Amino acid sequence: MSDNKSSELGNVEPTPGSTKLDPILTIDNVVRSFGGLRAVDIDHLEVQRGIITAFIGPNGAGKTTLFNLITGFDKPDSGQWTFHQLANAKSWTTDLSGLRPHQIANKGMVRTFQLTKSLAKMTVLDNMLLGAAEQKGESLRNALFTSRWRQQENTILRKAEDLLERFKLSHMRDEYAATLSGGQRKLLEMARALMSEPKLILLDEPMAGVNPVLVESLLVHIENLRDEGVSVLFIEHDMDAIMGISDWIVVLAEGQVIAEGTPSDVSKNPAVIDAYLGSAIAEELKDV
Amino acid sequence: MLMNLFAEIDVSKLFGLALRTSIGVQAATFALAAVGLNLHYGYTGLLNFGVVAFMAAGAYGMAIFFTQGWLGGSILLAIASGLAFAVIIALSIGLPSLRLRADYLALTTIAIAEVLRISFRSQRLLDLTGGPFGLPSIEDRNANVSFADVITVDWNPIGKGNYGAWFLEFDEKTLWVMIIGWSLVSLASLLIWGLMRSPWGRVIKAIREDEDAARALGKNVFSYKLQSLIIGGVIASLAGIVRAFDMGFVETQQFRPQTTFFIWTVLILGGAASIWGPIIGSMTFWFVIIFSEELLRQMVDSGWIPEAILKSNDIASVRMILMGIMLATLMIWRPQGLVGKKEEAQIDVR
Ligand SMILES: Nc1ncnc2c1ncn2[C@@H]1O[C@H](COP(=O)(O)OP(=O)(O)OP(=O)(O)O)[C@@H](O)[C@H]1O
Ligand SMILES: [Mg+2]
Repeated sequence: MSDNKSSELGNVEPTPGSTKLDPILTIDNVVRSFGGLRAVDIDHLEVQRGIITAFIGPNGAGKTTLFNLITGFDKPDSGQWTFHQLANAKSWTTDLSGLRPHQIANKGMVRTFQLTKSLAKMTVLDNMLLGAAEQKGESLRNALFTSRWRQQENTILRKAEDLLERFKLSHMRDEYAATLSGGQRKLLEMARALMSEPKLILLDEPMAGVNPVLVESLLVHIENLRDEGVSVLFIEHDMDAIMGISDWIVVLAEGQVIAEGTPSDVSKNPAVIDAYLGSAIAEELKDV
Repeated sequence: MLMNLFAEIDVSKLFGLALRTSIGVQAATFALAAVGLNLHYGYTGLLNFGVVAFMAAGAYGMAIFFTQGWLGGSILLAIASGLAFAVIIALSIGLPSLRLRADYLALTTIAIAEVLRISFRSQRLLDLTGGPFGLPSIEDRNANVSFADVITVDWNPIGKGNYGAWFLEFDEKTLWVMIIGWSLVSLASLLIWGLMRSPWGRVIKAIREDEDAARALGKNVFSYKLQSLIIGGVIASLAGIVRAFDMGFVETQQFRPQTTFFIWTVLILGGAASIWGPIIGSMTFWFVIIFSEELLRQMVDSGWIPEAILKSNDIASVRMILMGIMLATLMIWRPQGLVGKKEEAQIDVR
């Protein structure tokens, strides 16, 4: 873990809800219940800018629900969360609570889905082009006037081809997205989200169903993203992947943050081993 | 027996009548309405089961404005108010239901279409809409005065007379409305083609495929759906207006729910999400309807089908059964419609 970004983190306490040096996202008192079940119940959580943060936790811990809440796809019973667009600028912050999903995405916080949402009857390339933000031709005023958007379209096209190349999807460029395999759809969804040049990208199990060889290159992509300045927040179950690339790990269980820390902090934390008790992951953690 | 049949059938009349209808005003108006529905359903995935509400809004909006003589009763302003009425209908369907699940929109469209038709019919609105008698009033109609006169007589560039030959002979009024109708079909198709090749169209198609994916990428899905509903609705309302000019009057009988289902048939038959689908669909629809109707009529009249099995009065309903069978067969054999994209139809929704 020599390439971990310990500089950004400084000496942050590995305790639940700890204060980060330069958070990009702060979550406060967010609660979401389904009937009697408190799926998410978070007092305070900060996500550090410029690093890879992993959300881990057993099935049903509330990881996806938390993603849904902070991206506006679900409404919490209560709570606020704030996006800090600029590094070390406590002043330029946006209260995201109550905003609609597209508004949140347009602030620079873009997500992918655990169950992939590829646009089946559109080509892989069209899927990609859709991802780009602030397209002139997307407004009805300009749509009929090709000259108003042709140039931007060409720029977007080059970016899309570039990303498809990096994600090994170039050969599928003109195929319908429906023809992709499950793993390829995961890749497409991630590449598509990157088209908008997000400041913070939220990936819900990006490696699930992707073959091990591709997982390797996916991990490299995620690390490259971080090195290009994108903050990454991802949910995963694959412990090798998590330990391999995360700079910081947040552990959720029964809707609450039970631990945070660097991979080595977390793997030594008895509370984490407890949460996973009896599962193979508990064994894996002990080996780390 | 079979030889006997061929001897009795007037093949020229059979094809002549069918062809006449397939290029006529009715086919043009159905094609136009289907172009609007194609934007709603074919491209945006909106289940609009109230297409006829937009046609009624256009026709009545125009007719009321004109017969009331508002702002000097200008026909162009009357047409504009028909279109404006369609926008209001789109907003009143869209604003409450477009944020909800797709089935709510479907229900709202059916409801609004019926509410509109029944209100136009009501005695309370007699002075405005002519109630069950429609517009223009009975007196005006007896005196042969109609809002259509400005368009079909005063502004008709075609000299009085009959044009064409065989069964394809039309008088100057019909011919002029046909030209207007098919020109509007072309313009509307061109508009949709232009829109769908733009990034705007890409967002529209993405919404059809998966709304949440579009939202996650920062697209204001609600606003796009509303735009689609308005544009498609205005196109469908033009269909209502053209039909009103053709018939010379409007009445609620023209706007029963079955018209909506005919337009759906036209779209599915031709192929949803294709530019030519509505046009080919409408022409084929009317060709098949008239062809089978005429064939049955000739068979009944010649005694080849005994009265005991089918009376001439029942032909109209039997042709609809035939239409249904044909549509069902087509869906099995060509689910994409006559000119839709085969590959798209084969993609199952997962
Ligand atoms: N829409 C919903 N209605 C009712 N209960 C829900 C709903 N969404 C989630 N839950 C419940 O909330 C809890 C958390 O679910 P969530 O999907 O967030 O878990 P997760 O941590 O993402 O799990 P996994 O790792 O299996 O994806 C689960 O018990 C789930 O059953
Ligand atoms: Mg999940």
